[in-house]
Amino acid sequence: MEDVQVVAMLVRRCIAGDAAAWEEIVQTYNRRIYNICYRFAGTSDDAQDLTQEVFIKMYRTLTSYDPSKGAFVTWVTTITRNLLVDHFRKTKQDRMTDSMDSAASDHEDAQPLSEQIPDQSAPPDARVRQREVSETVHQALGKLSPELREAVILRDLQDMDYKEIAAVLRVPEGTVKSRINRGRAELARLLQRTYRQVM
Amino acid sequence: MPDLTNHGMQCNEFDQLLADALDGVLSGARLDRFQAHAQSCKACGELLAEAEAGRGWLKGLTEVEPPASLVTNILASTTGVDTQRLWAHTPVRQPRVSWLEHVQASFLEPLWATVRQPRFAMSFGMAFFALSVGLTVAGVKPSDIRSIDLRPVAIRHTYYNTQARVVRYFENARTVYEVEAALHGIKRNLTPAVESAPKERKDHKNDTTQQPEQKQERNYSQRDNQLILAAAHRGPSLNGVNACDLPVVSVTTYRRFV
Repeated sequence: MEDVQVVAMLVRRCIAGDAAAWEEIVQTYNRRIYNICYRFAGTSDDAQDLTQEVFIKMYRTLTSYDPSKGAFVTWVTTITRNLLVDHFRKTKQDRMTDSMDSAASDHEDAQPLSEQIPDQSAPPDARVRQREVSETVHQALGKLSPELREAVILRDLQDMDYKEIAAVLRVPEGTVKSRINRGRAELARLLQRTYRQVM
Repeated sequence: MPDLTNHGMQCNEFDQLLADALDGVLSGARLDRFQAHAQSCKACGELLAEAEAGRGWLKGLTEVEPPASLVTNILASTTGVDTQRLWAHTPVRQPRVSWLEHVQASFLEPLWATVRQPRFAMSFGMAFFALSVGLTVAGVKPSDIRSIDLRPVAIRHTYYNTQARVVRYFENARTVYEVEAALHGIKRNLTPAVESAPKERKDHKNDTTQQPEQKQERNYSQRDNQLILAAAHRGPSLNGVNACDLPVVSVTTYRRFV
């Protein structure tokens, strides 16, 4: 995705105060960061806020980026992941309150995802159907534990290799692989339950 | 997951190879052993199927399009930071100014701008009026102010005078308290003892035992014919002795003011 020399030059120009270089970085990475935030946080509003926070933090700490320690994309993803962890901790209390207000959806006997979807059989259009499936998978992804969720997002949605993921999550590669396996399996179980209810 | 050995592979090894197998990077003998283990171990076989399905679901998710305003918002928020940072770090060459101009610019001009406001003038006028009225009512004349002596000896003299005045004031107040206490004592002693008797009876109205009241002073044997070595005076209202026969003792507590 990135040429190390080109990115290093961009960063140097940014530090020197070149606004065009900074805009180029924002244009290049905003989509990626927004998608990570959206898949992790679950809502577009949260994703927008978090993406902005990531870029503000990135801009303030741009001088701390060392190209010899790793790729720029790994550095950016690490910042994103750290902010997501902070966000998760901050909103933990809200989620606990929400879960007490609604049914205990994490439990196996709780309301399945199929019941949260308005009507599965109504739209005949394939694109609408595809959008609904994506929404269902997105909701199921939000029900994974944060450790499993971040691992599968980085691997299956961002196509990062295990070594990079291990650097971002600061865990061994074996742990990364194990989390990815468990995350995928857990997601499949959730979706199987959902579609068993629908069919 | 049970840690079994099937076809020369343990379940934890299978778990480690699972991601590589799904990525398609496993080959040769390791792939054969992996597949054989998946077929023979039920738990690992299910895990493989679920992980494969989950991966398929995730790969089906497409990238979402960020809102159009996102880049603009990011640039607005970060370039704001940029501007501040540049201002903070760029040394701005100031023209040389004298200290008088500096004082005038930093102190006098803002002060004068405040004074010129009508609100301030009105407040100042009201304060001056209130002060002059207060001084007139208190009987303070400008000539009194002129005669204030600020020598250390005079200040010390004023201090001791003020202290003496305060002490006198409180001593006078003490005399008033003493007179009041004496009057209360006389009034209490002049009150007939008969008036206090019903009050005593009222205190015991809840006593339904019809038993004679027990005495406050008692010895260990509870008999009257035994010798009482020491007893307190019962007071006029209990034994019917005329109150006028008793000595009047008034107690006054003095508080010392320093």
